[in-house]
Amino acid sequence: MRAYILRRLAQSVLVVWAVTTIMFFMFRVMPADPTAILLERGLTDEARQALLEQWGLTGSMWDQYLAYLGNLIQGDFGSSFFYRKPVWEVLWPLIVNTLWIAIPGLLLGAAIGAAIGTAVGWARRGGKLERSGIFLATVIRGVPNFVIGIALLTIFSSTLGWFPGFGMGDPGATTGFARYFTLDFLHHLALPLIAVIIYFMPENLLLMRSGVVENRTEDYIELVRAKGVPQRRVAWHAARNSMLPLITWLFPALAETIAGIVVIEIVFSWPGVGRELVLAVTRQDYPLAQAAFFLLAVMIVLANLAADLVYGKLDPRVVYK
Amino acid sequence: MAPARTRSPALARDLARLDERLSAKPAAHLKVNGLSIGYSTLRGRFHAVEDVSFEVRAGTNLGLVGESGCGKSTVVKALMGLLPEFTGISGEALLDGQNILGLSDAQLEPIRWNRISLITQSAMNSLDPVYCIGDQICEAILAHEKVGKAVAWARAEEMFALVGLPAERLYEFPHQFSGGMRQRAVIAMALALNAGMLLADEPTTALDPIMQSQIMSRIRGIHEHMRRSMILVTHDIAVVAETCEAVVVMYAGKVAESGPTADVLERPLHPYTMGLQNAFPRLPVRGQPRQPLISIPGTVPNLLLPPSGCRFASRCPFATDLCRTTAPQLHTVGAQSAACHYTERADEFRAAAARPETWRNMRVGA
Ligand SMILES: Nc1ncnc2c1ncn2[C@@H]1O[C@H](COP(=O)(O)OP(=O)(O)O)[C@@H](O)[C@H]1O
Ligand code: SF4
Ligand SMILES: [Mg+2]
Repeated sequence: MRAYILRRLAQSVLVVWAVTTIMFFMFRVMPADPTAILLERGLTDEARQALLEQWGLTGSMWDQYLAYLGNLIQGDFGSSFFYRKPVWEVLWPLIVNTLWIAIPGLLLGAAIGAAIGTAVGWARRGGKLERSGIFLATVIRGVPNFVIGIALLTIFSSTLGWFPGFGMGDPGATTGFARYFTLDFLHHLALPLIAVIIYFMPENLLLMRSGVVENRTEDYIELVRAKGVPQRRVAWHAARNSMLPLITWLFPALAETIAGIVVIEIVFSWPGVGRELVLAVTRQDYPLAQAAFFLLAVMIVLANLAADLVYGKLDPRVVYK
Repeated sequence: MAPARTRSPALARDLARLDERLSAKPAAHLKVNGLSIGYSTLRGRFHAVEDVSFEVRAGTNLGLVGESGCGKSTVVKALMGLLPEFTGISGEALLDGQNILGLSDAQLEPIRWNRISLITQSAMNSLDPVYCIGDQICEAILAHEKVGKAVAWARAEEMFALVGLPAERLYEFPHQFSGGMRQRAVIAMALALNAGMLLADEPTTALDPIMQSQIMSRIRGIHEHMRRSMILVTHDIAVVAETCEAVVVMYAGKVAESGPTADVLERPLHPYTMGLQNAFPRLPVRGQPRQPLISIPGTVPNLLLPPSGCRFASRCPFATDLCRTTAPQLHTVGAQSAACHYTERADEFRAAAARPETWRNMRVGA
């Protein structure tokens, strides 16, 4: 078990390193000159050179790469060209903002999807619940993410006026961590959070449903029924077994889901990492963009590792080698 | 092993009370009348079981025999209420006088496992792979008895001792058990509430021959000890001879022959029973040569289009034109009855059926 985790961690480090390296060189071969945002026009050559040196942009690409890796290992992501302050200072609050919609959104989306999927899978074949459940999930899954976001905005913000449609709210008097516990913040959080839930739910629903449908005719379910336990309990056995394939799908799917969350952040102008990543790329702010990609890679790799370990907890047949 | 573990006096007392309550349950009586079961499939509805009647007297074993596909499991599932949705069921099954056919899952809750329980085949998938065996046994106990988890677990330990498994293995998962151990675990589970009626559907078919006879003698031993009523489904007529007071031979969804085991096996009236006897190695009789094995040529007919006359006609060495056009009624001879037009010629048939060439010379499918 420990050897397994160590080996998986080593693999993870390798993957993150590869992503980091690819990103580093990709930004450097992009046609436009990123230093344009850094260097005001009309600078003397010496001043220009001094600035480039200060930002670590002199020397061969190889030297720059080694210097970048060296700093990264020490936890230094460099400084943002655009904000002119350390990348970490820019990203840290954005990460927290993203996690506010991502974690509850994904957990609730998975839980609600799994619960409805179990009910739909357990329902009478060809009945109303089964047909409407599948119809709903298929339709939502087919609708692009930004359309869901815009629909939510149009209905609940513009038309009904129940929720604000923009950003994270005015921090006002409350600053720091306390702001996350204001009514105003929660009010702003509602719509983007619902968007993430709606976006993530259908796939969970359909997977859970097909798992339950497959499991409900298994011999062991027949035996549970024969024991005379309540039907809910029988359905639970089918659901519990259907979670295994769901988990294997769930964590790797987070990678794709991140793309969805980026879109939702943009639609709702939610100041998160995803939205900032897109802005940083358009502004050719490579230190910031690279750091954001680095974080995403770390998150995905950790999610996969977590998937393996959770799977092992849920399925007694799994042996770690 | 189990008693050696130190149980607190309170736990021991509660367990003793539970044991006493459960062992006070009487053996059940079951009477099945005119049971017919039609499965709906994509190719239409067909009757897997037709007009089957039998009786299991309290405290006795009934053997249900027949080749694969004759409808034995369908009968068992109907009795447990486990047939798929949209299955047509008619007739009645009176468990201690109460008809248990056609009840909803909710109505069956207090009956299942409490009054009628099931020993399934030991296939890997008859136990839930993600729960330990002990939890799966406790689940059944807790569903029907108002006791704590500790008492239920202690009861499960007793059941494990009864089937010869060490109590520690209750903590293990199905995949950690061998086939034989899994089968014993399934038996332990079926006995957990001491239901008055046990249904055992080919409990040893998946096992190797040595394990088969071990499990069967274990079942017989438990039967002696607990005096439950049981329906034992098997295609091995020798097992019936050793275990069951009465036997029902099914062929293609219908009862071919039924009666007291001793009578049916000694003087079978139906050619199918005679054929089955030839197909299984008989217990060697001292001083007589071992019987050669003769299997019945051909297969069970397709029930989507059942033959219009006797269902066994295409494989019966004694079939006549009458057999091929008219379905035989049940004829009763003493305590025995058989669905054959020529029960009065049974002596003659038996003599012929014992000769391998009788079966070999048949033109199958005529
Ligand atoms: N769920 C089902 N749907 C349709 N046909 C079935 C189903 N289960 C069994 N059958 C059919 O019913 C017949 C009897 O099967 P079964 O009761 O399992 O026989 P046995 O237990 O004697 O081998 C077979 O032809 C089988 O294919
Ligand atoms: S009725 Fe005819 S075909 Fe059927 S078992 Fe009797 S002799 Fe054979
Ligand atoms: Mg069967």
